[in-house]
Amino acid sequence: MKAIMKPSRIVAAVAALVVSAGIARAVELPFDQINAGRYQAALGDCAGCHTAPGGKPYAGGVSLETPFGTLVAPNITPDGATGIGTWSEADFRRALKQGIGHGGKRLYPAMPYTAYTKMTDSDVAALWAYFRTVQPVTNEVQSNRLPFPFNIRLLMAGWNWINFTPGDFKPDPKKTDEWNRGAYIVEAAGHCSVCHAPKSALGADKGGLTGTVLQGWFAPNITGNLHEGVGSWSAEEIVSYLKTGVGRGSIGSGPMREVIENSTSKMTDADLKAIAVYLKDLPASDKAAPTPVATDNPAMQTGARIYAVNCSACHNGDGSGQGALFPKLAGNSVVQQGDPTTLIHIVLAGSQGAVTAAAPTTPAMPSFAWRLTDQQVADVLTYVRNNWGNAAPPVAPDAVGKQRKNGS
Amino acid sequence: MASTRRQFLTSAAALSFVTIASQTYAQTISGALPWHPFAGDPPQPSLAGWYFFKPEEARVIEAIVDRLIPADDLSVGGRDAGCAAFIDRQLAGSFGNSSRLYTQGPYAKGTPTQGYQGEATPAMRYRAGLAAIDAYLRKNKNDRGFAQLNAQEQDDFLKTLEAGKVDLGAIDGKTLFDLFLQNTMEGFFADPVYGGNRDMVSWKMIGFPGARYDYRDHITKHNQRYPLGPVSITGAPDWSHKG
Repeated sequence: MKAIMKPSRIVAAVAALVVSAGIARAVELPFDQINAGRYQAALGDCAGCHTAPGGKPYAGGVSLETPFGTLVAPNITPDGATGIGTWSEADFRRALKQGIGHGGKRLYPAMPYTAYTKMTDSDVAALWAYFRTVQPVTNEVQSNRLPFPFNIRLLMAGWNWINFTPGDFKPDPKKTDEWNRGAYIVEAAGHCSVCHAPKSALGADKGGLTGTVLQGWFAPNITGNLHEGVGSWSAEEIVSYLKTGVGRGSIGSGPMREVIENSTSKMTDADLKAIAVYLKDLPASDKAAPTPVATDNPAMQTGARIYAVNCSACHNGDGSGQGALFPKLAGNSVVQQGDPTTLIHIVLAGSQGAVTAAAPTTPAMPSFAWRLTDQQVADVLTYVRNNWGNAAPPVAPDAVGKQRKNGS
Repeated sequence: MASTRRQFLTSAAALSFVTIASQTYAQTISGALPWHPFAGDPPQPSLAGWYFFKPEEARVIEAIVDRLIPADDLSVGGRDAGCAAFIDRQLAGSFGNSSRLYTQGPYAKGTPTQGYQGEATPAMRYRAGLAAIDAYLRKNKNDRGFAQLNAQEQDDFLKTLEAGKVDLGAIDGKTLFDLFLQNTMEGFFADPVYGGNRDMVSWKMIGFPGARYDYRDHITKHNQRYPLGPVSITGAPDWSHKG
């Protein structure tokens, strides 16, 4: 964590920075606003896409694999030639809230302007102030790598007409301030729906946070559903999960691991609590728990034997896991998602926990791709999903084969 | 014990020497521990055929392992358990070429507990040893090699070899026999992924459940038989099912 500078020094530093970047005007930006903007950047997880692993902050370069092709997050440092150094604050606000960049260029909704449109003007202004202080980096990013016809940016005008409702966040006066704060973070800067909402054929959110597949993972149901969602989680367990990467016997994995590291672990406890309060109050998806697969099913019998040798050392024979180190499988809502993509991914590739200030150990699960066949992965997961009171659809060997082939 | 001034000066000099000579630093890892998806360096299951032995050598080794571990009521013999295949794979790898051992001179004769201390690698010792045995037998057993002897003759020869009473010229027969026996036992009891212990035959024989992590779920079940069968690095037959 960087030391916090005194306001006077920040102004001086910014002035020096701007001068050195070759723009011949000194800008005075108040410290409080810059600091608030830095927090907004954490809430919005800007680094998750705009900072490449090991790269300079916000200099771009993370590839996003979408169903329509590859997009690369651009350089958003204040570099004149390759970043957003020539943008005005109005340009910045229009990009975040309307999906239209400098010079009228249409943004793709991989940039979650569909959520950022709900950010307040003062939060956007703070974010702008912060990005003016970021070290400018010269890094040309070829952002649009979509195939024809998706590479035509103007198409997004039509997409927006169908899928995009611009407008500020509207608080619900019947709810508490805390609930509304949670709703604002989840729906606006936090853009949780980008991963957790089911998608239409056009790739737009269909509403609700009942989970969807992306990048070889299944972002789970985070509604108040008791079986699949976070209905059975306490607010404290949700806070712990978002703050440390570990909560209610689950350890963050896949894209959520990065979200925890870059974003939620940097949120205040009050904001995390507000998110928990809001999520738990989300209308539960009406999906009821299925009937568990019968214990005399061949997959269950075989899965039990595979589990005893490969899994029980860490997760224990009774699926109870080991505190903050090894996830608890019994009663785990992630294990019981209707879609097993995340579980297959973790068994094939392995997984490593998020590194956070509160939980720096990063316990990891090894890859089992070399040891277990598609059938064996399917059987052990069917067993895990339907034992100790768990209930979820069985896993098909074909689904494992497909993910193995895709390297996820 | 109080240090003398001389000891202090010597150690100080040594310390400064170490400091100057090595400019390497302890590696610092910050953030997450190093980890990669799909990581794994598993032993590769061996395919059919011989990796090291020539066909005539393979026939002799198969005959030898089948006399050292003959088929009986308890288990199949060394040949059917894959001991020769195990030795073949080992000789083709780092055991065969001693690449993980210090093998420079001087070469003193080792004590009996030290075993072989010479310059030759196991691969060289097998190749030369089998050739010497073949030459010896053809000279003394009517131009027949080991594989052409009957079981009784094979046993008699191996016993004489073990007793150090076979003159193989520069090669010490007893040491060579010890090498054969040691590697045959390893092949019989090692994990099947290395080519021997086919179908975990030796583990079933002695009731070894394989390299399992622990037995926590069974510790309190006193006087009950452990219910699970053996498991190899590559898995177990009961991990598969039809339908």
